Amino acid sequence: MASSSLLISLASCLLFLAVSPALASNSEGEALCAFKSRLSDPNNVLQSWDQSLVNPCTWFHVTCDSQNRVIRLDLGNSNITGTLGPELGRLQHLQYLELYRNSFMGKIPEELGNLKNLVSMDLYENQLEGEIPKSLSKLKSLRFMRLNNNKLTGSIPRELVTLSNLKVLDFSNNDLCGTIPVDGPFSTFPPESFENNKRLNGPELLGLASYDFGC
Amino acid sequence: MLYGEIPPTLGNCTSLETLGLAYCRLNGTIPPQLGNLRQLKLLTFQNNSLSGPIPDQLAQCTRIQVISLNDNMLEGEIPSFIGEFSALKTLNLANNCLKGEIPADIGNVRSLNHLYLFGNRLTGNIPYELNQLSQLQILDASSNNLSGPMNISPDHLISLEFLVISSNFLQGEIPKDFCSRNSSLRNLFLAGNQLTGTINGLLSCTSLQSLDLSNNSLTGSIPHAIDQLTELVNLALHNNSLTGPIPHQIGNLTNLEILSLYHNHLTDSIPVEIGKLKRLALLFLYENQMSGTIPAELTNCTSLQEVDFFGNHFSGTIPDQIGNLKNLIVLQLRENDLSGPIPPSLGYCNSLQQLALADNSLTGSLPDTFGFLTELNLITLYNNSLAGDLPRSLLGLKNLSIINLSHNKFSGTVEPLTGSDLLTVFDLTNNSFSGQIPLELFKSRNLTRIRLGHNQLTGPIPSQVGLLHQLVSLDLSDNDLTGEMPLSLSNCKGLTHLLLNGNRLSGYIPSWVFRDLVSLGELDLSSNNFSGDIPKEIGNCSALIKLSLYNNKLTGPIPVEIRKLTLLNVLNLQKNKLSGPVPPEIQQCKKLYELRLSENLLTGPIPSELSSLTELQVILDLSYNDLSGQIPDTLGNLLKLERLNLSFNQLQGALPDSLVRLTSLHRLNLSSNLLQGEIPLALSSFPQNSFSGNNLCGVPMGPCSDPPVSKGKHLSKAEVEGIIVAIVLVSAIVCVALMYIMARIWSNWREVSVSTSDCEESNSKRWVGNGDKIQASKYRKLGPTSTRVGSSEEKHSWGSDTSVLRMKNDAAC
Repeated sequence: MASSSLLISLASCLLFLAVSPALASNSEGEALCAFKSRLSDPNNVLQSWDQSLVNPCTWFHVTCDSQNRVIRLDLGNSNITGTLGPELGRLQHLQYLELYRNSFMGKIPEELGNLKNLVSMDLYENQLEGEIPKSLSKLKSLRFMRLNNNKLTGSIPRELVTLSNLKVLDFSNNDLCGTIPVDGPFSTFPPESFENNKRLNGPELLGLASYDFGC
Repeated sequence: MLYGEIPPTLGNCTSLETLGLAYCRLNGTIPPQLGNLRQLKLLTFQNNSLSGPIPDQLAQCTRIQVISLNDNMLEGEIPSFIGEFSALKTLNLANNCLKGEIPADIGNVRSLNHLYLFGNRLTGNIPYELNQLSQLQILDASSNNLSGPMNISPDHLISLEFLVISSNFLQGEIPKDFCSRNSSLRNLFLAGNQLTGTINGLLSCTSLQSLDLSNNSLTGSIPHAIDQLTELVNLALHNNSLTGPIPHQIGNLTNLEILSLYHNHLTDSIPVEIGKLKRLALLFLYENQMSGTIPAELTNCTSLQEVDFFGNHFSGTIPDQIGNLKNLIVLQLRENDLSGPIPPSLGYCNSLQQLALADNSLTGSLPDTFGFLTELNLITLYNNSLAGDLPRSLLGLKNLSIINLSHNKFSGTVEPLTGSDLLTVFDLTNNSFSGQIPLELFKSRNLTRIRLGHNQLTGPIPSQVGLLHQLVSLDLSDNDLTGEMPLSLSNCKGLTHLLLNGNRLSGYIPSWVFRDLVSLGELDLSSNNFSGDIPKEIGNCSALIKLSLYNNKLTGPIPVEIRKLTLLNVLNLQKNKLSGPVPPEIQQCKKLYELRLSENLLTGPIPSELSSLTELQVILDLSYNDLSGQIPDTLGNLLKLERLNLSFNQLQGALPDSLVRLTSLHRLNLSSNLLQGEIPLALSSFPQNSFSGNNLCGVPMGPCSDPPVSKGKHLSKAEVEGIIVAIVLVSAIVCVALMYIMARIWSNWREVSVSTSDCEESNSKRWVGNGDKIQASKYRKLGPTSTRVGSSEEKHSWGSDTSVLRMKNDAAC
């Protein structure tokens, strides 16, 4: 009896031996596969994502530059359910993150702030919740940031006013609160970019009310 | 096999000493009546489907020695009355759904030898009281949610041999002098926690045979004194943040069989003393920053079965004597800086199944001796500078399944690689292979991928390709293949990638391509001699993501059925003889980010419907056609567009104002059309050749001598500046006034807010505050006003930074 228990225990120790050689390692492909593992994909749009390939550049919905670095991820309108993970932050050269019109849930990972080359972050029409991470203020190349029609909460991070390249921003139809920044690119966004956030209280009055007033 | 519930009446058998119902199909709960079995010594219910809690009544079975309830679905907490079982030797509650903390009272059971709690949902700290269990030999609490510091001290647990707390959330450092001098701890598994600090505290555990600290956050270096652990057989420190070199003392651990140090920050070279490890079977150093040469002494480790050095900076040559490693099954040296030839002796590692030398700088040819590697099922040598013909002896490799020799300089025929019928992946992309595609290749009916692109292959595409029903990817691009597409290819219904571009293939594009190959996601037939119309059946291929037919001799219209390709990202029909209009239906291809229809004979206007292609980014190229009419005003909706080329058409009229909204644009070519009028200020940062060959004026072209009367909107630079200043001043005044008013509203509003915490009012109402509509309209005015100021200011900076981009991209467009 005791010996059979010992066997059970040893079986759990065999985790030890579950180390395996890195025969198919490539970091961007790994990151994408880790992302895939979070997703339910009834339409099989990720079928071609095969980690045994040299790199992810022949995968559908993934576009690489001439140096085989992933620059686009196009999964808009693909009937995907799941969460966004920190691994997306490892796609260092990504310029276009097009994940709109799916059923992505959970939070926007703060690691997306590591995508230094990101030009477009289209996460609109999903079911994302939680706050807009402050780390997104590190995305100095960002021109398009559409997070509308999700379930995002909290205030608009003030740090986003430093995104001087931002041309199009849409935070409408969420559950954001506080006030709307007025500095930097925010001086150019129309009110429609913020509408239908029940607890969002109009433009910031610098020094007169705290920006997260009403949150 | 027994099934059903445990009858409560068992509780009447009060003399029962042993109750064993293990490995049955019992369900239901443990009856509380079992508490009547006061004589019970052995209770084994493991591997059933029992649920519910462990009943309190069992507290009365005080003579119990063995409790095995593992592998059930028991819920609730571990009862603390277990602390009163003074004769208990074994407690096994593993693999249930128990939650809560480990009761400290278990520390009172001095007789306990074996304690198994793994695979539950236990939380909290490990109670320090467990250190009183001086008889305890095995403690396994792995795969729970335990947190806090590593409280267990083998210093007190003098009998402890097995300590397993892997896969929890333990934090903090490993205590100094973890073990006492005469510790009997042989196996320590703390993998998958959040432990920090160094591993030095474990050097006192001199009886250790297996040590697994992988997947933690350990730092520091591997201590020189590691050789105090003379009994060590298995050492796993992978997935930590260890730094520094592997100490040469590692060579004194002569019992070592597994050494797994991958994914750390280890530096320097492999110590030559490693050659003393005659029993070493697994050596995983991958994903570190190690350098230097691979020591020849490594080839003395003749027990080695798996060697993985992937992702380091090892340089120099592969040791000549590598053939000594007769037991080697896996050799993975990918992504290093290895140079020189592959030593012929490698062919004597005749147990080798997986050989990966890709991403190095290896030169020379493949040795003849590779013919002896008859167990080989995977060979990946891509991204080296290997050259020469393949040795005929490779035909003897009957177990090969995956071959990737891409991106080398191999030449001659590919035939020697076709000896195996088990091939699944065959990738020889970018070499100098010549001759015809050998028919032997098609004996491997399980082939999923054939990639022979960028070689010098000649002859036709063999019709035998139709035998490969598993084929997913066929890339024969950039060779010198001739003839037509073989009809048999229509059997490969699972094809998702078909790349035949850059050959001399001819004939019509057969309609069966689109009728039968409906899984195609990428179809590239560009740069061949295909003629005729684009088949209307193209609409069937609704999975297409990239479609490239450019540089052929295709005629006729662009079929309107293209609208069914709603997943299309890239459409390239450039450089054919296509005629007719740009079909407005193309607007259905909403995911297009690259659209090239240039160098055809297209006529008619640019359809305004193109404006719904809002994902267009890389380029919209309609140049070198016969397009006429005005540039549609709606083109300004293509906010992501980076390159727009409408040059060499018959476009006329003025530039639409909306073009200034294309703020992503960094290449613009409108030259050689019939355009006229003034260039909008926002486009003035583009060079002259963006506009030349038209009747356009204004910066960067010559000044508009005759300012158009109808366009009163256009103002001189000075006027614009004046207006901007005025707007800024007025805005500032309005702002101050507004801030004052709004501050007052806010202060009123705070009260409203507090009273109606559940906000159901509409957004606009809230902005208005107390129904003050005048203020609301002022706010809305402020928005667009400041927009205009902002965007005209930003033009300068935008102009300067885009010019840098433009220099970079000059060659591209």
